[in-house]
Amino acid sequence: MTPERLRTYTVLGFATTHDALDAEQLLTDLGVPVVPVPAPAGLGHGLCGIMLRVAPDDAGRALTLLGHAGRDPVTVGETQDL
Amino acid sequence: MDVRESVRATVYLDHGATSWPKPQSVIDAVTQALAELGGAAGRGTYAMALESSRTVVRARRSCAALLGVADPRDLLFQPGCTVACNLMLKGLIGPGERVVVSSVEHNAVVRPLAHLERRGAVVDMVRADGDGVIALEDVERSVRAAPTRAVVCTHASNVTGAVQPISDLSRIAHEHGALMLVDGAQAAGHLDVDLADLGADAYAVSGHKALLGPPGIGLLYLAPHLDAEPFVDGGTGGDSASTAMPSERPDRYEAGTANLPGIAGLSAGIAVIAAEGGALRRTDAALISMLHEGILAIPGFRVLGPPPGVPRVPVLSAVHERVPPDRIASVLDRTYGIAARAGLHCAPWAHETLGTLGCGAVRFGVGWGNTEEHVGLVLASLREIVRR
Repeated sequence: MTPERLRTYTVLGFATTHDALDAEQLLTDLGVPVVPVPAPAGLGHGLCGIMLRVAPDDAGRALTLLGHAGRDPVTVGETQDL
Repeated sequence: MDVRESVRATVYLDHGATSWPKPQSVIDAVTQALAELGGAAGRGTYAMALESSRTVVRARRSCAALLGVADPRDLLFQPGCTVACNLMLKGLIGPGERVVVSSVEHNAVVRPLAHLERRGAVVDMVRADGDGVIALEDVERSVRAAPTRAVVCTHASNVTGAVQPISDLSRIAHEHGALMLVDGAQAAGHLDVDLADLGADAYAVSGHKALLGPPGIGLLYLAPHLDAEPFVDGGTGGDSASTAMPSERPDRYEAGTANLPGIAGLSAGIAVIAAEGGALRRTDAALISMLHEGILAIPGFRVLGPPPGVPRVPVLSAVHERVPPDRIASVLDRTYGIAARAGLHCAPWAHETLGTLGCGAVRFGVGWGNTEEHVGLVLASLREIVRR
């Protein structure tokens, strides 16, 4: 079994769980894969505990879709994940 | 008969207090939440916690859709309508501010206002008429008399079932720079409540009455322009390094672990109302009308509130000229297995307005599961009781 390698992902942070999961559903419904992850230390100020992890290639589209829906994230950052 | 059999056989007419029985879908949702949704909503990103969180998000959306709230984040889960009323009143009315309030309020409004009055708020009570309905001109006169922070009124009385003209009251309040704050405990579910139309700035909802949810869950609608002061501080699942409550809704007003079984049960109850609410309301209206006219046909009874034919939520209270309400309720229970409630119904102002503060009344509330047979049994029982 080949060990997985760390990859860089974009993470989107929201002020409340409601906003984060609302965004999760919106992006999922529109075909953008997202994974809810714990807010990484250092990115968590002013955020709820859930961030949405998206592949870097999908990040631009995700932000555009959220912006059109009036659901912009509070924070956009990067994290290393498997 | 053991207690369980006795409970199952009860003809339940106390829907004004709480609805019973609950739809099976509500029982299933509460059970499923307890059995399967173990993680705390908004806490953690493991699969179980996320499913709990998603349940809350979906429930909030359903509640908002039913009540005509554009942004679900303005609809706050609270541990009941009483707590929602406390947040609404104590969070928005400060010392020295003036409040105009109807004389038919429940203690969920009366007591918080008395608390605020002791801290310097000024409360002006506007008396309802003999049917328990507020006259718009009386409210307008009061708000004209002095700068007013808020008009406070129940949407529907828990004693008489009388429905107050909330849209008109909102207009009057807003014309004079006041907020419109509403206790909707008896209305949501029994009336087609559309908060966008009503114009209320805050509206408190009971989850366990006509919305058919379990006890321990309610809602507060808070218009987006308002910043009520939270009176419960605590964990919200995020921004944990800050000692201040977050400014964002709904977290600002939902400290502590969410009542997931309650929220899931309420969501299931709302689904029943969304699907069948119109038919349920027609049935309830027919039953309360049958009960109203039937009681009036028994010599010696007086029914409080609006006359037959005037729309009301399906609650009414009655007094007999000779037999006290407590005896009527007790005999209904012990002899006939009928659940009805005697007393002041936590609404002393309303009873004072209606002239029954000294004696109280016996109250009947019809709702989910009631039938013509139930009402017929109540009427036959009342005829026997007052003949003795």
